[in-house]
Amino acid sequence: MATAMTGRGMAFIRSISGELQSRLQVLGAGPLQLSCLHTSTSLESKHWERNNKKMFPPQKPDEPRRPAEVYHSRRQIKYSKDKMWYLAKMIRGMSIDQAIAQLQFNDKKGAKIMKEVLEEAQEMAVKNHNVEYKSNLYVAESNSGKGRYLKRIRYHGRGGFGIMDKVNCHYFVKLVEGPPPKVEERTSFDQAKEYVEYLKSRTIVHSL
Amino acid sequence: MATPMRRTLVALHRATCSSLMNAEASLDLRHPLPLYLPVRTKKRYFIPPAVGMKGMKDANIEERARKAGGAHRQQYFERPINIASTSGVFDPYIPPEGDARLSSLSKEGLKQRAEQIKQSAGSQLAIRKIKEHDPQFSTKSFAEQAQEIFIEAHTALTQFNKEKLHSLLTERCYPEMTRGNRYKTISWRFLESLEPPKVVHARCPDMISKGNLYGQVTVRMHSKQTLAIYDRFGRLMMGSEEQPKDVLEYLVIERHLINPYGRWRLHGKIVPSWAPAKDPIIKTVLIPGPDLKPGEEFEALNHQVPKPEAVQWSK
Repeated sequence: MATAMTGRGMAFIRSISGELQSRLQVLGAGPLQLSCLHTSTSLESKHWERNNKKMFPPQKPDEPRRPAEVYHSRRQIKYSKDKMWYLAKMIRGMSIDQAIAQLQFNDKKGAKIMKEVLEEAQEMAVKNHNVEYKSNLYVAESNSGKGRYLKRIRYHGRGGFGIMDKVNCHYFVKLVEGPPPKVEERTSFDQAKEYVEYLKSRTIVHSL
Repeated sequence: MATPMRRTLVALHRATCSSLMNAEASLDLRHPLPLYLPVRTKKRYFIPPAVGMKGMKDANIEERARKAGGAHRQQYFERPINIASTSGVFDPYIPPEGDARLSSLSKEGLKQRAEQIKQSAGSQLAIRKIKEHDPQFSTKSFAEQAQEIFIEAHTALTQFNKEKLHSLLTERCYPEMTRGNRYKTISWRFLESLEPPKVVHARCPDMISKGNLYGQVTVRMHSKQTLAIYDRFGRLMMGSEEQPKDVLEYLVIERHLINPYGRWRLHGKIVPSWAPAKDPIIKTVLIPGPDLKPGEEFEALNHQVPKPEAVQWSK
């Protein structure tokens, strides 16, 4: 994305953001009071992959079987995060076979990469995470995130310039064992009916 | 398109100025004309950092060291290693077939006992060598000591106590026991010993140099144990908590005899070729079928799943 601004404006904004960041770091030193601030995230922490190391205690034989979860991601894909989001939103909730089929015949560049990621995740699930049937998985979460951008100069007319971002994105996917959950379809008629029932159920409280 | 137009405008401006200048060269009343007008580029207030930085990284360390005054010595990527265990089981004990099933009164049992006595000649030499370095060694007490080491090692494995495991297992045995177990929960119990443990075999190999002696002793154990392995999500993968199993095992215990601080540690297990197949795991596993050419079909009747060979191997 090329932003056409003067150099001085850029420096000003950068200084402001630097001050804000330092102030946030100072404020985030008290973890007990300010639990909403993220204190330990840095640019190198790969949080999504760490979810794969989470251990659960052994289950007793009468408990329902806990479904296996596999987290996988790919970093620094040379694609835009907004364009990737469309594909990620498409496959949310699909079974893994359906997702791979849809991505195989999609014309976008990100579809090929996403298909590779899903196949890697499926293989990981069967090999390392004790998943019995490789088709018995569905896409529970699928997201795209901004990667580290490279900055270049885009030359404009009259000696103007813009900073061009070479975009990269990350792609995150979580596969869960089991059949995909059925989404209840609510038609407009159902919604209208519910609204009318709500209107009918109104009463006057604390009346005489 | 804009830049050429601008250039021509400035050129025209210059031309008019210069014509005016020539006309009124004698009078120095007006403002001095700048000689050079930067038309093409404006000052870049932002230069991306990566431009022009290629090839700088190699020179950095040496330059910094020179500037600081100290000489940059070449780094040697070597480290001294102490070898405290052998890499395998030397001259392994071959357990006779039907070991736990035949009694010594039958004909086959007598044959087995005869074979055992023949094998034990080498073991007697080895035991004598071990007694030179460790005078308190005796086969009777050692067998019980070996069983204790075994039980302690496996309880440490269930709790995954790394320091204790390293002190009870040799360096060769540790990765074999703990591979793939990091994200699994193992619950193991030793119920009772069905027969008293017995020392059946001993060898004293030396590694690399002649005097570097290691003692390897094989102990035969028959016991009842329960084993249940749970995966990362707490689901049962193999075995069961309540069902005990009778286990006949041949443990190899090793010690670095030269080292005065050496300890007897579990080195491995010998799995005989006639050992019964283990229980299958709970989940179904996909065995890849034969590679088919485009026209062929898969014939399920003629296809046989390849079975592993019955060979003795040491675990």
